[in-house]
Amino acid sequence: MTASTFRTALGRARQRLAEDARSRNGRAIAVGTALALLAPLALTAYTLDIVMQLFIAILAVSSWIFIAGYFGMFTFAHAALYGIGAYAAVLLVGEAGVHPVASILLGGIVAGLFSLPIAYPVLRLTGAYVGMVTLAYAEIIYRGTILLRDVTGGPTGYTGFPYLFGGDSVVMYYFVLSLVGVLLLVMYVLLVNRFGLVARAIRESPDAARMLGNNVPRHKLMGFLIGSSIAGVAGALQAYSILIISPPMLEIERMIEFMAMGIIGGLRTLSGGIFGAVIVFGLSEVLRDYGEIRLVVWGGMLVIVTLFFPNGIADSDFGLRERFGGDVPIGDRIREVIGR
Amino acid sequence: MVSGGLLVQQVVNGLFFGGQLALIAVGLTLIWGVARVLNFAHGAMFMVGGFVGFYTLGATGSILLASVLAVIVVFVLGYVVEHSLLEPMRDREEFDIASMVVTLGLAIFLENAILVGVGSQRKSFPTFTDVIWNVAGVTISVQRLVIFLISLVALAALFLIITRTKLGLAIRAVSQDSDTALLMGVRPKRIYSITFGASAALAGLAGVLLAPMFSVYPSVGWYPFLLAFIVVMVGGLGSVRGTLVAALGLAIVRSISMIWIASETAMIVLFAIMVAVLIVNPDGIGGWLDG
Repeated sequence: MTASTFRTALGRARQRLAEDARSRNGRAIAVGTALALLAPLALTAYTLDIVMQLFIAILAVSSWIFIAGYFGMFTFAHAALYGIGAYAAVLLVGEAGVHPVASILLGGIVAGLFSLPIAYPVLRLTGAYVGMVTLAYAEIIYRGTILLRDVTGGPTGYTGFPYLFGGDSVVMYYFVLSLVGVLLLVMYVLLVNRFGLVARAIRESPDAARMLGNNVPRHKLMGFLIGSSIAGVAGALQAYSILIISPPMLEIERMIEFMAMGIIGGLRTLSGGIFGAVIVFGLSEVLRDYGEIRLVVWGGMLVIVTLFFPNGIADSDFGLRERFGGDVPIGDRIREVIGR
Repeated sequence: MVSGGLLVQQVVNGLFFGGQLALIAVGLTLIWGVARVLNFAHGAMFMVGGFVGFYTLGATGSILLASVLAVIVVFVLGYVVEHSLLEPMRDREEFDIASMVVTLGLAIFLENAILVGVGSQRKSFPTFTDVIWNVAGVTISVQRLVIFLISLVALAALFLIITRTKLGLAIRAVSQDSDTALLMGVRPKRIYSITFGASAALAGLAGVLLAPMFSVYPSVGWYPFLLAFIVVMVGGLGSVRGTLVAALGLAIVRSISMIWIASETAMIVLFAIMVAVLIVNPDGIGGWLDG
């Protein structure tokens, strides 16, 4: 990417951000961001910790939407890769003495590497097939972390890693907030530019996308890698915020939590992940003392939202529907923007 | 060096397990082939069958009654689920993903509702016979043999229904072209519901039959469901014949690989086979078998 195309990409993102900021969801997110920035002034360390975990959940869900919503690759391996990122980061610190902040980014890279064995078969599959293959892969990673007890600590988990920033919860809070913000912006910039348009074209019709001259497998591979790596970063952040990692972190239940957030919020936009995470995370906090009732509620919500709100509760397309809907068929619009 | 006797023993064990696996996997492949639904609630149907069997057996002591009742209850459950949850979305563009999410939501709902209701402790089934035969150095558990035979009978019954009856003809017609079938006086919506019910009932039957070996608890369905998943991917989604071959083949591979590695690790061998088959031919081995 040359400097001028990079500037064009940023320019388009800035223009879109300005439009989006005026939308209903955009205003809600702006207010939320302002509150998040000021939160340490009013909240106790305990509540701050909960808010921090909400941000981490937002990052994890958004990176899943990046793959599942935009490319239509309905991956079930996301929670497992999130867990891989966590294990990789803390093992690098605990066993190899890597600096903790660097380990978070390395955790993301390792998660990306672990996504490769599954990425190749996924490129050749569509729809429900992707779900099946990635689910089986996730199960194997989960069993692997239990079996490799010399490395991972087995079922009881791994604890030999330090606090970030000496346990200063306010510094930690701002670190998580800024890292989550930066990664959300990275995904946003990618998605409002050519990359995101090609992703949607692939979701709607891989054949048409290929005929427009796009390298479909390469795009899908990039999307899968980027999304999985960001999941790894989210996992690493989560490990540092709770200071223990154990196999339940990458269980299917965690995947279902991410999916519930994404689907309830809506898979068509990144903001769907933010709203979904707030709703489901909030509900989980409220229902914390009632154990499995929480899962009964999520299961029921998955059914009801899919049946009655196909595009999720935060059903706003950041104005995309006006741009792509109406009289202009989406294919023409995509061709126009891509310029082919 | 592995002795020949152990190898034969593991092949026999694998064959028995393959019959049970086929019972679960064929239902999964059938409902995909006919209605394009990837049923994530298949494991939950297995679990419901197990619980119905458990309580019936506790009350009456009859494994036969338990099986029949489980089949009926799970069939009705499957029919109602298809009719009320999946039918309204059928015209949607992304139906395969929407149906996957709805059945997943249903699975979580059922599993955890039962967890809240009866608790997570494992309920062991009484075994119905302890007899073990020794044929030329190979030990055969009569209970496993009986379960294997019941599985074969159920699969044969399904095969006969599909190939020899009018209902079967309608099912095949709908799976080929539902619009034309409608013009011929078949009601595809009812066929979808019946097929979903039948597919669920197979899982429910498997739930009762396998419960004496695995015991019953709310999340009991996930592991057999994942195995069945791998089986249908290798066999080719929608191909009943491919699924049968894949179920027997993979179960035998699993048993043999368990000579050297732990049973948890055997799953990785099956997964590697699945990925290899998908890379060579995404349609699975059913593509070759069905021509």
